[in-house]
Amino acid sequence: MIEVRNVYKTFLLPYKVRALVDISASVEPGEVVVVIGPSGSGKSTFLRALNRLETPDSGHIWIDGIDVMNPKTDINKVRAEVGMVFQNFNLFPHKTVLENVTLAQVVVRKRSKKEAKNTAMALLEKVGIKEKAQVYPDQLSGGQQQRVAIARALAMNPKVMLFDEPTSALDPEMIGEVLDVMKTLAREGMTMVVVTHEMGFAREVADRVIFMDDGAVVETGTPEHFFKNPIHDRTKLFLSQIL
Amino acid sequence: MGAAAKSALLKKNPTYFLWVGVFFLILTLVVGLLYYATQKIDYVWRWYRIPQYFVFYDDVEIRAEIEGTVKRITRKNGDAEVTVADVGEEESYHVPGGEIRVSEGDFIFSGDVLGSFGKWRVGILLQGLWLTLKVSFIAILFGIVIGLFAGLARISKNPALKWSAISYIELIRGSPLLVQIFIWYFVLGTLVNTLLRQQGIPLIPPLWFGVAALATFTGAYVAEMVRAGIQSISRGQTEASRSLGMTYVQSMVHVILPQALRRIIPPLAGQFISLIKDSSLLGIIAIRELTKATREVVTTSLQPFELWFVCALLYLVLTFSLSMLLQYVERRTLYQ
Ligand SMILES: Nc1ncnc2c1ncn2[C@@H]1O[C@H](COP(=O)(O)OP(=O)(O)OP(=O)(O)O)[C@@H](O)[C@H]1O
Ligand SMILES: [Mg+2]
Repeated sequence: MIEVRNVYKTFLLPYKVRALVDISASVEPGEVVVVIGPSGSGKSTFLRALNRLETPDSGHIWIDGIDVMNPKTDINKVRAEVGMVFQNFNLFPHKTVLENVTLAQVVVRKRSKKEAKNTAMALLEKVGIKEKAQVYPDQLSGGQQQRVAIARALAMNPKVMLFDEPTSALDPEMIGEVLDVMKTLAREGMTMVVVTHEMGFAREVADRVIFMDDGAVVETGTPEHFFKNPIHDRTKLFLSQIL
Repeated sequence: MGAAAKSALLKKNPTYFLWVGVFFLILTLVVGLLYYATQKIDYVWRWYRIPQYFVFYDDVEIRAEIEGTVKRITRKNGDAEVTVADVGEEESYHVPGGEIRVSEGDFIFSGDVLGSFGKWRVGILLQGLWLTLKVSFIAILFGIVIGLFAGLARISKNPALKWSAISYIELIRGSPLLVQIFIWYFVLGTLVNTLLRQQGIPLIPPLWFGVAALATFTGAYVAEMVRAGIQSISRGQTEASRSLGMTYVQSMVHVILPQALRRIIPPLAGQFISLIKDSSLLGIIAIRELTKATREVVTTSLQPFELWFVCALLYLVLTFSLSMLLQYVERRTLYQ
């Protein structure tokens, strides 16, 4: 589903940072891959490179067989197939919850208003927030907003879902409700790449864990391997700090 | 203010009403002093002469165009029809209201008054007010459009767009509006109209050069507001919309601009109020807007004091209404 080969990305401003160094990875259809690593290790940059919110300097990325790096590729088509959930939700504050979920369906997918609404209501029910369809985002708690954001991404019927620390901005008591939605998605066979610090989630849901440090992939493996027998010292150090 | 609020206010600030009194005292004093000064120079206030410059009742005379005798006067629904006949020639004149000054059988010379009727006419001040309103309205509309595109060009990555926008904005903001009006009228206006005349195409009236000057002037300021408004919307909004597959234009139209424009309504209101006031400069290029109209009336009526106060008051009415309107719009578009 996702194929990443030798991707490099260097930020020059405000100062030179090698954010991605020779990254290679692959994600099979239906697989849930969790990316972990210390702050500034390039996890977000990696995720954002997948739908070209960040353009890598070199390397190759394919999503569902489409060459993302090719300038001739219609990146908007690719993005429509790749759902993304952000740490800060980024809901559209001038639109109601329902409009948040229908907007891109109508504008990008060219669905009728009615069809978009039906899809939206079904998804809002799925994330357990149907009764808030008519309110504006700032009247929702963080956990509710993030669930709306997930519904908004799902409404495009994406082939892949990317999550960038979806629970990091949430109060502890709201983390569970968002993780539950993500677990349901994983169980239903959605292909997911999740950047998170929730090790419980990684252990329970991940098919594979990728550990990044200093812009490079240090170690990849199943959760059992990862949490019980990590090979690299840096992995061990990181796990000892975080667990 | 409710009674409870009043007493609470009094408790907090016992001298509140004293100072309200002082305010009105100052007001009365200023007006009184002004009046006293005008008395000193023997200025005669004649407010009753002012309304005629808004609307006045005009006497319209209907004159015969041929020579002959009044053959017949017929009355119908209060109006009258006067028929004048000569050998082999006959003509009828319609007199609304039916105030006839001739009778049947009278001999009439060409140019004689047959009858007259009264009619309400719009005075020069009201005409000026209307023109100010019209010019400002059109300039605001164009100013918004120009400002929107210039603002978008300003933040574009394309150097041609970006540098054009920067040049335009800096050029306009760096020179006086009066000079810009002169350039529009005396330079561009002369150029365009001379070229048009050579081609035999009807000329463009000064009004449109005035509108163009105001619109481009306002556009530059609106552009900066649009730019600031867009940049004040967090990058996350762009990323969220683009990650859903929206194009740049879709993301702008549906997500960024609605939020940005809402945010810039207050500074826009200020800019549009300035524009209404700045339109008073157009008098210098022969556009008879409110200020020029007032000046003309002043020279004929010799009541400058009343007229200039009325003129200022009319501008105040315009700017205040606009400010109210935009406040209403802002409240309406506020999401919860
Ligand atoms: N737009 C940018 N411009 C400049 N430098 C950037 C930009 N985005 C990221 N960086 C830098 O690239 C490096 C990797 O950042 P990235 O956000 O990918 O890390 P991360 O692993 O997601 O960290 P965190 O856990 O804090 O989110 C950091 O040093 C960061 O400062
Ligand atoms: Mg990050």
